Amino acid sequence: MDLKIGDVTLTSRLFVGSALYPSPAIMQEAIRASGAQVVTVSLKRQAPASQGGQFFWDLIKDLDCHVLPNTAGCRLANDAVNVAEMSREIFETSWIKLEVIGDDYTLQPHPFELVKAAEELVKRGFTVFPYCTEDLILCQKLRDLGCPVLMPWCAPIGSGQGLLNVFSLKTLRTRIPELPLIIDAGIGKPSHAVEALELGFDGVLINSALALAHDPVGMARAFAQGVDAGRRAFLAGPMEPKNMAQPSTPLLETPFWAGGGS
Amino acid sequence: MKAGIVGAGILGRLLALRLVQAGWKVTLWDSEPWGSPSSCSFVAAGMLSPLSEIETAEVKVFEMGLRSMELWASLVAELGDVYYKTLGSLLIAHAQDADELVRIQQRFDYKLNAGHLVQRASPARLAELEPGLAHWPREALFLPHEGHLDNRQVMQALAKHLETLGAEWNVGVRVDSLEPGKIHAAGQTLPYDQVFDCRGLGAQTDWPQLRGVRGELIHVQAHEVNFSRPVRLIHPRFRIYIVPRPDHVFVLGASQIESQDLSPISVRTTLELLSAAYSVHPGFAEARILGSYVHCRPAFPDNLPRIAAKEGLVRINGLYRHGYLLAPTVVENVLDWLSGSPVRDPELLNSEGLK
Repeated sequence: MDLKIGDVTLTSRLFVGSALYPSPAIMQEAIRASGAQVVTVSLKRQAPASQGGQFFWDLIKDLDCHVLPNTAGCRLANDAVNVAEMSREIFETSWIKLEVIGDDYTLQPHPFELVKAAEELVKRGFTVFPYCTEDLILCQKLRDLGCPVLMPWCAPIGSGQGLLNVFSLKTLRTRIPELPLIIDAGIGKPSHAVEALELGFDGVLINSALALAHDPVGMARAFAQGVDAGRRAFLAGPMEPKNMAQPSTPLLETPFWAGGGS
Repeated sequence: MKAGIVGAGILGRLLALRLVQAGWKVTLWDSEPWGSPSSCSFVAAGMLSPLSEIETAEVKVFEMGLRSMELWASLVAELGDVYYKTLGSLLIAHAQDADELVRIQQRFDYKLNAGHLVQRASPARLAELEPGLAHWPREALFLPHEGHLDNRQVMQALAKHLETLGAEWNVGVRVDSLEPGKIHAAGQTLPYDQVFDCRGLGAQTDWPQLRGVRGELIHVQAHEVNFSRPVRLIHPRFRIYIVPRPDHVFVLGASQIESQDLSPISVRTTLELLSAAYSVHPGFAEARILGSYVHCRPAFPDNLPRIAAKEGLVRINGLYRHGYLLAPTVVENVLDWLSGSPVRDPELLNSEGLK
């Protein structure tokens, strides 16, 4: 059941964000309830150069999780590289969730700037977790550049729409079997997480789904179970759906000739 | 009885008023000169919105806020001529974000079963309520039990009132430290029966759980815009409000960033606030920008206020973004404690700040 990323072994397949919660106290409680071992944190607006967010960052460090700093809010590769460097210093980790945004409303990743930034960050020794679309060619390129994990969206960030393009997501899973694939963005409900894990994705990252729930702590517990259920189902091998109703035992009272045409 | 109050923000001033009226001899201390805009209380927008706030705040904030609304009515009557309105507030959203209004209504119901405190306003009803929004083509939410005030006028009126009542002002003097019964400032130690610590973030060394949450806002004057009550634009990523002041002045606010950073307003926040305002009313295009203001709200991890009280020293802090909404109730609790009667909101009492 464990998930390995580089030399880190995780027992939880849930990654959680730390933004938008009603209060830091609720954020901490929800993250603990989720059982997540990886927490993302964004620095860009918190005056990282003057350590303005120190208090908040300490709250994140208190959680005793792996911190996955992100480059949320960056629109250019250079900008993302700078934020990554500051994050490495502040959190003493080479992990970076690389977000380079191309559209302000949907927060869709900018594939071209993303590839540029990923290339540079891998060169500088970062472990790059790229937030990308579900485009196969983009994902293959990111893999070839040396990203040890991919984080495709399943719907726009914060939309809670769930898996919008199941076909492409299945293609990704089939065509990139060698890397952990974590669904990042678009998950709204535990059922979405179950679906992603059942398809063979290695985990999901959620933030708004917890932070914007009426009860973030209750929702965190629900997600922990959802991710667990989805993974167990994947390992157990779900039956293939059949396109007609088929009795599982012969119905002796229905003579086979009675049902058939002519 | 002698009271030394350190920190002359809204909390310190309201407390001073109630203590003077209860017969105490009060001295107010503040490191900033009188009326300095470098206090949180000057930067605030002055919204009294107990219901809107519980989109993210605890229900406690709503309960205390409702009590404060009652207290503000009588306070304002004492202060005389200050801009204070109880006309409710409006929540609107652009077409693509209409779901957000539904979500907020669900949140009110979930937390408070407060459906009856919210009215859905059709475009026609909206135009009737707020003719300045007659062009708005979509349904809005009207929260009739909210209010707003001009925080700067209130701060000035309180200062004047306190002066007439005989409170002493020691402003522009930095207090080095305080302890039960004593204030150390400018090389002197001054004795008091009770010291009150209302320093907000200034008390951080004594209360390490306190953090600053950056807020940025802009004042504009828009002669083409007439709003009589606060308008909140609900958006998936920003919360932006437009709060009217006298003479077509509007406060556009506010960012909320987990950072203790007092540097000037960012370009991004400026763009967000101004374009949001313009998207609500095109009359903001020709508005004049009067100024931008930045401060950090003092907050505890649960974003609720705390009172740490013992003989000789009372610390009050953590009013977060609810300074004007909560200060009157918080002061009422402090007065309860001083008189030995059960406090109204015992959850606020917390002895950690006294260690």
